[in-house]
Amino acid sequence: MRSTRPATWLVPLALVSALTLSACSNDSSDDKGGGGLGGSGGGETYKIAFQGPLSGDNAQLGINEVNGVQLAIDQANESGDLDFTLELVKADDQGSPEQAPTAAAQVLQDEAVLGVIGPSFSGATKAIGATYGDAGLSFISPSATNPTLSEQGFPTFHRIVPSDNVEGSQAADLFAAKGYKKVVVIDDLSDYGKGVADELQKGLEAKGVAVQRIGVDAKTTDYGSTATQVASAGADALFYGGYDAQAGLLAQALKAANFTGDKYTGNGGKSSVFTDGAGDAGDGWFFTCGCSDATVAPEAKEFSKAYQEAFNSPPSTYSPEAFDAANAMIEAIKTAAEDGAPTRDSVEKAVDGLDYKGITTSVKFDDNGEVDASAQTVNLFVQENGQIKLLGNIKDQA
Amino acid sequence: MNQRLNLPDWAGRAVACLFGSVVLAMMVGPQQGSQNDYGVGFRQAVLNPRIFYFLLIGVLVFFAITYQDVVRRYASRPGVRPLVAGLLVLLASYFLMRWYDPLGNNAKFAGLADAVASTSGLAPLAKAFFGWLWWVSLVVLVVGIFVAIARRLRALGWAMAGLAVVVGVVALVAHAAAADAGGGIDHSYGAPTALVGYLVLAGAGVLAARSRSETAATREFVERVMAFRPGLPLVLMGLLLGVLALVSATWFAPQQANATLVDTSSLFSGSDASGLSEAFLGWLGYVLFVVVLLAGAAAVWTRNRVVGYVAAGLAAVTILIVLVTLHDISATATEAGYPGADGPWRDLGTGGWLLSIAVFSIGAGAFVAARRAHRPAGADEARGTVTGRLHQAGASTTVLSLALFGIGLALFYPPTATTFWQQALVTDIGVYVLLAIGLNVVIGWAGLLDLGYIAFYALGSYTTAYLTGSLPVQPPSWLQLSPLWAIPVAIAVCLVAGVLLGAPTLRLRGDYLAIVTLGFGEIIRIVAVNNPGNITNGPRGVESAVPHPVIDLGFLRIQWGGNQLQYWYLLLVLLAILIFFFYRLEGSRLGRAWAAVREDEVAAQATGVNTTRVKLLAFAIGASTSGLAGVFFASDIGYFNPQNFILNNSILIVAYVVFGGMGSLTGAIAGAAVLTWLPNFLRDQVPSEDRVMWIGAVLVIMMIFRPQGLIPAKRREAELTGLAGHDPSVRPAVQAVPASEGV
Amino acid sequence: MSEFLNFLMLGLTRGSMYALIALGYTLVYGVLQLINFAHSEVFMAGAFGSFLVVHLVVGEGEGLGGFEQLLVTLLGLVAGAISGAVVAFVLERVAYRPLRRRGAPKLAFLISAIGASFFLSQLFGKLFNRLGNNQFPDYLHKGEVLWTPFGARIKLLQVVIIISAVLLMIFLDRLVSGTKLGRGIRATAEDAPTAALMGVDIDRTISRTFIIGGALAGAAGFLFGYAFVFSNTMGFIPGIKAFAAAVLGGIGNIRGAMIGGLLLGVAENLIPTAPWVGGDAWIGQEWTDVVAFVLLILILVFRPTGILGERLGRAA
Repeated sequence: MRSTRPATWLVPLALVSALTLSACSNDSSDDKGGGGLGGSGGGETYKIAFQGPLSGDNAQLGINEVNGVQLAIDQANESGDLDFTLELVKADDQGSPEQAPTAAAQVLQDEAVLGVIGPSFSGATKAIGATYGDAGLSFISPSATNPTLSEQGFPTFHRIVPSDNVEGSQAADLFAAKGYKKVVVIDDLSDYGKGVADELQKGLEAKGVAVQRIGVDAKTTDYGSTATQVASAGADALFYGGYDAQAGLLAQALKAANFTGDKYTGNGGKSSVFTDGAGDAGDGWFFTCGCSDATVAPEAKEFSKAYQEAFNSPPSTYSPEAFDAANAMIEAIKTAAEDGAPTRDSVEKAVDGLDYKGITTSVKFDDNGEVDASAQTVNLFVQENGQIKLLGNIKDQA
Repeated sequence: MNQRLNLPDWAGRAVACLFGSVVLAMMVGPQQGSQNDYGVGFRQAVLNPRIFYFLLIGVLVFFAITYQDVVRRYASRPGVRPLVAGLLVLLASYFLMRWYDPLGNNAKFAGLADAVASTSGLAPLAKAFFGWLWWVSLVVLVVGIFVAIARRLRALGWAMAGLAVVVGVVALVAHAAAADAGGGIDHSYGAPTALVGYLVLAGAGVLAARSRSETAATREFVERVMAFRPGLPLVLMGLLLGVLALVSATWFAPQQANATLVDTSSLFSGSDASGLSEAFLGWLGYVLFVVVLLAGAAAVWTRNRVVGYVAAGLAAVTILIVLVTLHDISATATEAGYPGADGPWRDLGTGGWLLSIAVFSIGAGAFVAARRAHRPAGADEARGTVTGRLHQAGASTTVLSLALFGIGLALFYPPTATTFWQQALVTDIGVYVLLAIGLNVVIGWAGLLDLGYIAFYALGSYTTAYLTGSLPVQPPSWLQLSPLWAIPVAIAVCLVAGVLLGAPTLRLRGDYLAIVTLGFGEIIRIVAVNNPGNITNGPRGVESAVPHPVIDLGFLRIQWGGNQLQYWYLLLVLLAILIFFFYRLEGSRLGRAWAAVREDEVAAQATGVNTTRVKLLAFAIGASTSGLAGVFFASDIGYFNPQNFILNNSILIVAYVVFGGMGSLTGAIAGAAVLTWLPNFLRDQVPSEDRVMWIGAVLVIMMIFRPQGLIPAKRREAELTGLAGHDPSVRPAVQAVPASEGV
Repeated sequence: MSEFLNFLMLGLTRGSMYALIALGYTLVYGVLQLINFAHSEVFMAGAFGSFLVVHLVVGEGEGLGGFEQLLVTLLGLVAGAISGAVVAFVLERVAYRPLRRRGAPKLAFLISAIGASFFLSQLFGKLFNRLGNNQFPDYLHKGEVLWTPFGARIKLLQVVIIISAVLLMIFLDRLVSGTKLGRGIRATAEDAPTAALMGVDIDRTISRTFIIGGALAGAAGFLFGYAFVFSNTMGFIPGIKAFAAAVLGGIGNIRGAMIGGLLLGVAENLIPTAPWVGGDAWIGQEWTDVVAFVLLILILVFRPTGILGERLGRAA
């Protein structure tokens, strides 16, 4: 008999018991639906699915969003003006097109799912848009910004964020109007960051503004050399296409490197994670965002507070958007439920006909699933004394 | 350190066990840490009454280790292993598996039990089972069988075996009653698994009652069974499944109309379905099944080669007729506008497929019997070595039987799975199985640690995208190809890339090669992200969807893309070709040269192996397999972006190969299948965010207890256990082969 | 010139942290001939451990005097080193020793370590949080410029990091070349069976090697976490880079790891910016890793055992 390290016996037994226990704890914490074996789509429990990255490299973004959705659903259930109970189904796609079809299949096999919030990423959206379309299942993405998504002909696609084109080109107009001669455009090599940065660069070059591009992987933590490079480039302004945590680090590094130009970032960078992370280095940063003021409006403040209470952390990038998307979906299910039991088809119709005022935007979709042009404005924000405040429509800011 | 402090052994062990239980407490549960309060996760996990459960586990483990001699003495009694196995199966069934799909989140046993409790009008037996019978019976059985084994109480053993069978059947019946009350399509396996668990327990009871020996000899027992009449287990399995299929399974199920074979027959009598189908549904099906069964049984019993092949042929014809019928009824129903019918091959229940598996299994049994028709020469006269030979014959029959049954499952099981599992089977499991068998050549056979394997996969995918015009750069019009025609090109590209990378770097040893390949993998991914000259469309992924492949031969047109099953069968074809090719390769001159290089490069060179060329070939063959997987992946999924080719995936594929058993083709397949299945299985078990953590734990535990992997290659196993393995007929001196220095 | 100095300082800062991590890889490789893939999580554990202690002691870290700052820094280093050492010790006990007892093939260790790496990183994520932006209290005012030779901006933080790293490396070098434990480590690296015959307790030596490597990585975790941010996945990239650095210097070679780490850190900062070319970058920063890996591959092709060669015994 080969001798075995005694302590190693512990592990498989422990694992088995752990699996068993975890199964118990998950089950017992689940909220049980109505009586009977009403699983065949009937009964009074409807489900909203969230599809996005909950594990893997991009998990943070997905967790931000799923928390927003969870909050919306919990609030709706507690409010008492629903005739039905809502449940959340989480489908993890790791943000990758490869995993997206499996996650979509997980969503689709649950007959009670009436609508989907997600996918978070454009690549995943492209991979499953047709599948959801075939099933007639409405989906609202809180963060997929690739401009080509609305041209793919996905019948049930919607998103409540403007595409990269809108954000990038309007920022380019602003920069040209402000008279910048040279702009450094940094992106985080992600789908979103690079998309916005590309659009911005195109717009700026068309207007004769010199552009220097720098790409820094989103997993970078050391922005020292990037900042030093920016400081020595002699640019009037900088735009960072990427997400909040990284933008906060960049802000700190830029301050340390003594960069004096104007600093901008987009929708992805505008959150309290940025303000917390950057500290006073974030003062003076501008944000272009296709969203209304999410810090002043009372509902928005309530949202921040409730989110903080529920998840022990401040809302981060795309949490408010996901919250809006979920509320819009709930609204649509309510509308659909007015004429009998809601189905996927009736919910899809209701989503198309929505006119709902959220905390980041008015949710009203055009035929392609984009937020209707009438409701879509890009606003400029600025951080002052650790607070983000609204300056107004970006077109009036020159 | 222990010695200096003079800590007794048991103290260290106790600390380790308690520490382990605290770690376990942190792993289990929905708690999640927070930036505002870094201690909150810890408090929720550990400073909580439930910690006592975990500590209890730790204490139990501590005693199990401390008194392991006692434990081991009991554990080696006949019947204990099946008892533990049955208990584990039952626990898995009750706590991990789904019992009734339509309940969604609550589809596990507890959810169904709650639903049953709040439903009136169910049979009292079902209510009792879901209410209390399930756990009472489990406790009674486990305790009873254990006592029967420990105290050698024969009567109790028999009684418990009988009880186990009864409870198992009750489980099945209760589930059927509940599912009937609920309606809807149920693909769950909880109840059948419970039945299996109870049957295993019954086996333990029988063993306790019958066995006269002091220690268990599981392996010998299995071999004796297999060698008694080769193929018999397969035929019995076929009988069981076939009866299930013909009597109770659903054959046609649009809109939850779960029609069994009899119902389906009456449904289609007088319809436009062909005469053959109607006959099959009406009477031919039963007749054919009985005929095949009789022929198979005869072949197995008489060990007559001719009868065996005839039975296998009959089985093949029967399967063909089943398939024709299935196609016919689904197509007819759609044409006739039956509500809910979606088209050919849709809306079929499990029945037809189950019957196919059953018939295939019987045919396979007959085939095995035919193959084993001649008993090994001289086995009878040389009684002295009969154990050794028995071992050999039994083992290879077991392997052949399992392999054939696996093929049957692979062919006919997937159509009965849910769309989710079909999707997972192709895009998660299938693709990575392809990659794993390719990497097995590089790591398992040639012993080269490649941490950038995913790069070739990326090359294959992007090549496909280029050739089908899905990238910003368009190929010249004469080069625009359907994805299937991209296969040779992608293979060629990866072959060249493999050689280009390998030629300068392959003289590096193990870990240096690892970092170089890792670098190569990252370079390919970063190039794809950075998108020089707008070739790859950067992080946005391919510009337009890669089209699905089409085969158009005029008379026959196959268009992929309708559902994942089509890709599954394409994948099976690819896998079959590759497995055949690699199987031949392993034993070839080249394969032996790889083994030589892996074991001792200097010695291999001294004996005249051109090591550079041999290693280069391994690299190139591995790379081209990866390229093939890339083509398959790209055309299946349509869209992909550089995100799919991150370093983590390279590392994971290495883990699959090692987990399965390095250098073993079946091992690589099994490893990839298990480890890609696991995260999808865990979707139902733990918070999504925690899945990676559990997979990490599984990897560590597996490597601690079975470092050679699930199904190790014979040669590798010899390195760990000595040449003979468990074969007692080989002299001990031969077993003392030193552990290898190889990778 | 000022630009060059700026980038050089940035490079040395990052490089010294790489070197500290790389030392762990190299030490373990020396005694076991194995790459410890879970080493990056030891580094991560150091950051979390030191954060908990530092946060407990200084809160938000406002208004500390110079001496207190020094004390807190030392405290952070020690706390990081202890957490790293503990995790490394447990890691060796759970993921390595049982495999050694069974004579497992080399790749089994690799997979076990990879599994442990997944496990640790996600367990810390579950226990603390999975956000990517945890920050230490800024008790040192890390942006503060210390002095400006030739117009370059040398920061206090950079000086602290480089000095700490250099001290730790000198300490390690003395430890390995001058003490009984160090002799044991070198003997084990040279020829484990013979060392065992000479009375070296191999198990204990290996365990202590893990502890030393873990302590260095944990201290690096503190420095890294304080300088930038820390998270449960922070280990992955520095881990890979440090692995590359160790290989570059000649894996198993202690001074090689130091040189490799510094070289890689400096190269990463100088490659994309190339201040000597003047003004604009000659190649985008997004290509840094490509250039670094190509250089690594080239160096290995021409010097297959790294810059200083392999032997632990020889160099120390």
